[in-house]
Amino acid sequence: MDCLDISFRYKPDRPWVLERFRHTFRPGVTLVRGASGCGKSTLLRLVAGFLEPQQGRIITPLGTAPTDIGFQRRALGFVFQQLNLLPLASVQRNLALAGSLAGLPAEQIADNSGHWLRVLGLEPYAKRLPQSLSGGQQQRAAIARALVRDPVVLLLDEPTSGLDDLNARVIVRALEQFVTGNRICVVSSHDTRLEILANETLDFNRFLPLERHLEALV
Amino acid sequence: MKPSTLIVFYLWKDTWKRWCEQPGSPAARLFVTGLLVLVATVILTAFQLVERSLRERLESFGLNTLVVRRAVTPDSSAFFRHGTAPDDLAILAPSGRKLRLRQLFVRGQTEWEENNLLVLTYPPEALPMLAEILSPQTTAICVSDSLPENAQLRVRISHRSVVSSVARPPQWLRSLAQGDFLLVPQGWLDEEERLGWLETTVFQRGPTAAPMEQIIAAVKALSSAEQRPAPQMQSALPLLRELDELHRRHQQWRGVLAGILGAAVSLVYGAIAVLEFRQNLFVGALLRSFGASAWLLYFRQWLENAALANLAAIGAIFLIVLLRQTIFGTLGFPGELLAASDANLQATDALITILVWINVGAFLSSLPVAAGLRQPVGEILN
Repeated sequence: MDCLDISFRYKPDRPWVLERFRHTFRPGVTLVRGASGCGKSTLLRLVAGFLEPQQGRIITPLGTAPTDIGFQRRALGFVFQQLNLLPLASVQRNLALAGSLAGLPAEQIADNSGHWLRVLGLEPYAKRLPQSLSGGQQQRAAIARALVRDPVVLLLDEPTSGLDDLNARVIVRALEQFVTGNRICVVSSHDTRLEILANETLDFNRFLPLERHLEALV
Repeated sequence: MKPSTLIVFYLWKDTWKRWCEQPGSPAARLFVTGLLVLVATVILTAFQLVERSLRERLESFGLNTLVVRRAVTPDSSAFFRHGTAPDDLAILAPSGRKLRLRQLFVRGQTEWEENNLLVLTYPPEALPMLAEILSPQTTAICVSDSLPENAQLRVRISHRSVVSSVARPPQWLRSLAQGDFLLVPQGWLDEEERLGWLETTVFQRGPTAAPMEQIIAAVKALSSAEQRPAPQMQSALPLLRELDELHRRHQQWRGVLAGILGAAVSLVYGAIAVLEFRQNLFVGALLRSFGASAWLLYFRQWLENAALANLAAIGAIFLIVLLRQTIFGTLGFPGELLAASDANLQATDALITILVWINVGAFLSSLPVAAGLRQPVGEILN
């Protein structure tokens, strides 16, 4: 997964969030670290094709741009910081919908769902609606929803933010199981509990125009 | 299940839940559309009924019929009680069929006092033209749409009594009078003719004759040239002009109402669609992040608006069809006209126009959602 000199800003009159960023994401886990506002989430959304860079280009392992609907449907798994589950569908139905959109056959969706629900400790909650789950359960369900698609590229934006150690350990274990072979996993987080996963760490603080006045406050 | 089926199923569930949580949203759309369609349909159907009524009058009178009336008093030069008076309109004879009658200044009364008949006398040369309605029993004819055909009817005129046979009016004679009338041979009512009469000429234009406007102009010019008072002329031309004017106004109203309907539906539905789209912005973006097509989400909004608009419109039209006698009866339309219009009230051009514009409005109302769906998922899901 190649990022070739990409630059991005949200509005023309705003400063660049990413400027001439160049990096190749290799199979394994890449941990993107950095303080809030340094552009970690923006990078993930660019790599997912949910945003488009103003300059440069990104090439996915399929050889397409990430905005390609085929890549997004079949090769991408994304876990957002918040709101990852469809509120009116049960956990199982959320997983089935995600797997179905990825073009997986029904048997594989059932197998994958059963597996990841078990690994993430969600079997008892499979028939429940997201609103009846705790924050940790919802986040685990969101990860299961991404994993059930069996994606080549898995992007996780602050997957353990606000979760206790037990939940974080379950998530780490699931990701360890998943990231094998040529799968690429990019995790944006400043959570040190995820460092154990990383094959590579990308420090994003270097892109950040640091708010020096905050240092004076502490 | 196919992914599109799963998404459609989810979207339907989402829509239904939204309707149940906020019933005011679909109810407002149904009410506004239903009310507007109701008013528009009543107005356009009223136009249609008036048009139909005019057409019936036109058909009854006859498009190629001209009735010329001129008063003949005992002191006028045309007062010939016996023999054949000179025919002022002889020039019309080669252009079609012509019947000269005398409408007397007295009225006939049947045995039922309420039936008051116009009395006209016909000359012997009119017999071939009247042959189709003459009876072997009598040469007096009571021309009527309501009395039993071929019945022998005694009619009292002044102090004398005439037995007539009832006949249905042939098309070309309908222009003579709105109600029943009595035709008797000239000479039968000698006393009554002394008072004078209205020289009444019924002319039916032949297929190769000049247009009716030219014939009317010729009759006027002839009267003027011969220094006679202008005769009273009755033709289908004023009715035709009235019908044209009505048709023009009908088209104008149809355009205006269609525009109002389309604009109202697009504004009301559009405003609600934008509000609800914002409420569901994250869910929509999440579905798109799974790979669901933005077109599918747009199609859901369009389908929802179109379904509500059409449901309301068809409901309003159905209500009008159900209550047409009451609604249009209250507006003063006669029952016979409504009964005759029953069959085509439901499928007229007006209704098709209304439905087309309702759907145009529904389509336009969903365009802001299409614009909203162009926002990148990455800008929505933070």
